[in-house]
Amino acid sequence: MEDAPAFGRVIAIDIRGQVCPASLLITLRKINEIKDDIQKCGARLEVLTDNRDSVGTISEAAFNMGYGVGTEKQDGHYRMVISAAG
Amino acid sequence: MDATTSSIILPGAIIGVAAGFVMHRADFCLAGAFRDLFLFRKTFMLRAVLLLVFASMLLSDGARHLGLLPFYPFPLMGAISPANFIGGTLFGIGMVLAGGCVVGTLYRSGAGNIPAMLAVAGLVLGSGLYAEIHPAWSAFARSTVLFPGKVTLPQILSFDPTWLVLAVSIPSGIGLYRWTRRGSMVRVTPVEGYIQPWVAALVLALLGLASWMVSGMPMGITTSYAKAAAWVESALVPAHYSAVAFFKSTPLKVVLPGGVPLCGGPGATLDGIAQVQFPLILGIVGGSFISAISLREFHLRWRVPAGQMASVLTGGIIMGLASRMAPGCNVWHLMGGLPIFSVPSILFTLGLLPGAWIGGRILNRIV
Repeated sequence: MEDAPAFGRVIAIDIRGQVCPASLLITLRKINEIKDDIQKCGARLEVLTDNRDSVGTISEAAFNMGYGVGTEKQDGHYRMVISAAG
Repeated sequence: MDATTSSIILPGAIIGVAAGFVMHRADFCLAGAFRDLFLFRKTFMLRAVLLLVFASMLLSDGARHLGLLPFYPFPLMGAISPANFIGGTLFGIGMVLAGGCVVGTLYRSGAGNIPAMLAVAGLVLGSGLYAEIHPAWSAFARSTVLFPGKVTLPQILSFDPTWLVLAVSIPSGIGLYRWTRRGSMVRVTPVEGYIQPWVAALVLALLGLASWMVSGMPMGITTSYAKAAAWVESALVPAHYSAVAFFKSTPLKVVLPGGVPLCGGPGATLDGIAQVQFPLILGIVGGSFISAISLREFHLRWRVPAGQMASVLTGGIIMGLASRMAPGCNVWHLMGGLPIFSVPSILFTLGLLPGAWIGGRILNRIV
């Protein structure tokens, strides 16, 4: 994954090993919590997950909310970065 | 190799491995299909489940016409009663809290997911709990039986199942065709080695048919959880175990074509149930393990929030209890009974809907 330009601080959540759909619920809540910062390019949300379904559902949900999503596989899990689109 | 090993155990293991592999790759979550409908208003996985039911319906009716099915309907399908709906509702609550159904927790266990393993332990506990209430519950189920001796809608209405298959195929086929044209059967995801759920649904429909042809029944595994509870009780509290009537029952008594007898129940013995279900269970775990290892995605992660672990264990217990109350699990009813219009399966599936809704409400408070 091409790393997004370093706009703002990185807020990370590690939800590896967690139950479905907790991964999606926790991520959505975190996005809602920091949405203003993300939109102002003041923050990016980094999500570490090993739930294969959640990689798809988180990408889809974040995209539908108007954010940009980048994903890469790292050491058997997935690192997703949700940031301001464009 | 004796006849049972070559005709049931080995094919069962192969079917299990294939199912486990495909389910892990697609993350084919039957529990999620119902849960997401209420929790996120998303129907992506439910569409794949509908395709699975649709394909199973066409395959099983075709196989029936070709004389490929040893039994029609299949054994172990309980009688029609409100127990089917109540069991389905409880099962729906349990599968949402557990983060997966009886098969979902198995394939996730194979990939190293600790909460899924705890849910499997809960399933065994719940099945053991059912044994304690079995006399009262089976008396209720027996006293409320509708259409005794009949199981499917075509049996009750006395017509050939093919007419119903044709009637259902037309609107279902049009709906599935439209979803396919709109691209809503496909998920764009960056995960490695992804198998689209619609492909997994077709493979699983074929595997379900293979199971029916080989063992006389579609895929089903939950009696084995009662068996596991029986083994634990017979080792820890042998006097109590011998006094529990449920463990002495043998609901399976059939002879497969070729003369292979299958006789068994939830008791702590290696009987016909073990010959059919154990290879399937071990196969699903093994298939998922192979898939996860080959993707370098097998990991045991112990740091899971306590609330989630409690939810998963409770969900497993409720599912174990419900799968004996119904009787049968969601895979048994969705892949086996619903495609042949079995009324207990229709009632169980209708029960899953309020169950998944209630489960979603509870889960939202826990997470």
